[in-house]
Amino acid sequence: MNDPSLAISVQNVSQRFRVIHERPDTVRELFAKFRGKRTSYRDFLAVSEVSFDIRKGEILGLIGRNGSGKSTLLKIIAGVYRPTSGTVEVHGTLAPLIELGAGMHHELTGRENILLNGLLMGYSKETMRERQQKIIEFADIGDFIDAPVKQYSSGMYMRLAFAVATEIDPDILVVDEILAVGDFAFQEKCVQRLRSFRAAGKTIILVSHSLTQIEEQCDRVILLEKGKLTIDGSPAEAIKTYLGGTATIEEPVLVDSPSPRA
Amino acid sequence: MTELFRDAYRYRELIWALAVKELTIRYKRSILGFLWALLNPMLLMLVLSVVFSKILVSAQPHYAIFLLSMLLPWTFFSQSLSYAAESIVGNADLIKKVRVAKLVFPIAAVVSNLINLLLSFIPLILIVIVMRHPFYLTWLYLPVPLLALAILTLGATFFFATANVYYRDVAHIVQILLQVWFYITPIIYSLETFPAKYRIFFRLNPVIYVLNGFRLGVYYGLLPTPASVIASFVCAFGALFFGYRIFRKHQDDFVFYV
Repeated sequence: MNDPSLAISVQNVSQRFRVIHERPDTVRELFAKFRGKRTSYRDFLAVSEVSFDIRKGEILGLIGRNGSGKSTLLKIIAGVYRPTSGTVEVHGTLAPLIELGAGMHHELTGRENILLNGLLMGYSKETMRERQQKIIEFADIGDFIDAPVKQYSSGMYMRLAFAVATEIDPDILVVDEILAVGDFAFQEKCVQRLRSFRAAGKTIILVSHSLTQIEEQCDRVILLEKGKLTIDGSPAEAIKTYLGGTATIEEPVLVDSPSPRA
Repeated sequence: MTELFRDAYRYRELIWALAVKELTIRYKRSILGFLWALLNPMLLMLVLSVVFSKILVSAQPHYAIFLLSMLLPWTFFSQSLSYAAESIVGNADLIKKVRVAKLVFPIAAVVSNLINLLLSFIPLILIVIVMRHPFYLTWLYLPVPLLALAILTLGATFFFATANVYYRDVAHIVQILLQVWFYITPIIYSLETFPAKYRIFFRLNPVIYVLNGFRLGVYYGLLPTPASVIASFVCAFGALFFGYRIFRKHQDDFVFYV
C-alpha cells in the first residue's frame, strides 16, 4: 500500500476458526485421539475473502447480523487475530474499543487501570502520566477513580474505557457497539468526541446495530453477511440491503475437515 | 533470541507494570500486605529450626541457613513455574481483546516472583545475623547464580506457558513435577549424604548447578567451580533458547485457544 491517503488496507482477508469443543482439550482426549477415536470437527469461516480500503479521515460503518463476522474483522484490523490468509496494513496508531473495559483489571483502581491500559496499548508511562488528568476529567466518575473497577457500574466502566482510548489521541479509532452504554449525557459527549475526531482528520471504524447512528455518523458503510462483504457503499444503500435482506450469498461456510489438527 | 531481548527492553514499562500489578493483587486486602513476602520464609525458618534442631537432629549446623540458602531460590523457581502455566491462559481476557506482545506475560510473572525472592533475602540476612553465621564475602557473588536462575526460570516459564494453552492438564502436571523435582534436588538434604557413585544422577538435574551457587555463597562461603558455573549458564541459556523458540512459534495462535 503506497497510497498515502489510505489509513487501512484490507486485502483478501479470511479467518478460519476450528469449532472449539471438538478440540482435544485435555491429555486424555489427546490419547483418545491416538487410539483412533478420532472426532470429526468442522472449520468455520468467520471472515471470507474480504477486501476494502479506508481513507484517512473517513468514518466507516460496519453492519451485519450477529455472527456475520464484524467483530472478528475488527479484531483482525486491531491486530488481535492474525488472519488465516490475506493481509491488513494499518497506517498510524490505532486504539481499539472492541469490548467493554478490555485490559482493565477488576482489582485495580481506575487510576491504576488508566496506566496499565495505556501501556497495553503501547504508550509510554510518561505519555499516560501527562494525559491522566484529562482522562479522569472526561470519564467524570468522581471519587470512583480511586476505587477498584470491580465496584464500577457498567456505565462507569465504559466511560473510563472510552476516555482512555480517545484521550491518548490515536490516528484510528475502532469502536464496537459500545456507545449504547452510558447515559444520554455521556452518549452525547461521545458523539461530540467522535465529531472532533473527524474534524481532526482521524479515521474511525464504527460497528453498531443502531442503524440511525450508522446513518448519522458514517461516510461509508460495509455490510457483512456470513463472513462475506456484500455491500460497500453509501450508508443508505447498505442499510437498505441489510433490512431488505436481498443480497444473495453462497451457502455453506461450514467445511468438514476429517484430518486432525496439524 | 536477540528479538527476545529487544522486545523485553521495548516493553519494559509494561512488564514492570504487570509485575507490580501481580504483586499488588497478591497482597491486596491483606492487612500485612507486602510483609507476607518477608514473613513466609521467617515462619518457615522457625518451624524448620524447631523440627530439625530439637526433634530431628541434623548433621548440618545452622540448618536453617543451610536450607533457606537453597530453598528461597527454589521457591522462586517453583512459584514462577506455577504462575507460568497460568500466565497466558490467565490473561485470556487481555489477549483476546487487545493487541499485545504475548511475551510480556511470562516475563512479568518471572519479574514479580523475582521481586519476591529479593524481598525474602531480607529475613535470610536477619537469620544469618541472629544465628551468628559468618557473612562471607561470597555474598557478593550471588548476582551471578541469580542471573542464571532467572534465565533458566524464564526459559521454563515460556515452555510451560505455551504448553498450558493447548493442554490445560499442564498446570496440574507442573505441580506434581515440582514436588518430585523438589525431593530429587538436594535442597533439604546435602548431596554429601549420598554415596559418590549415585551422585552422578544428580548431575542430570539442571537446577542443581544454578541453586548450588546460592548455598555455596551463603552457607559455606565458597565459590562454585568454573565448570559448575559454565554448566549453570549452559542449562540456563539452553532452557531459554528452547522455551522461547516454542513460545515464539505458537504465540500468534494463543488467542484462538485461550
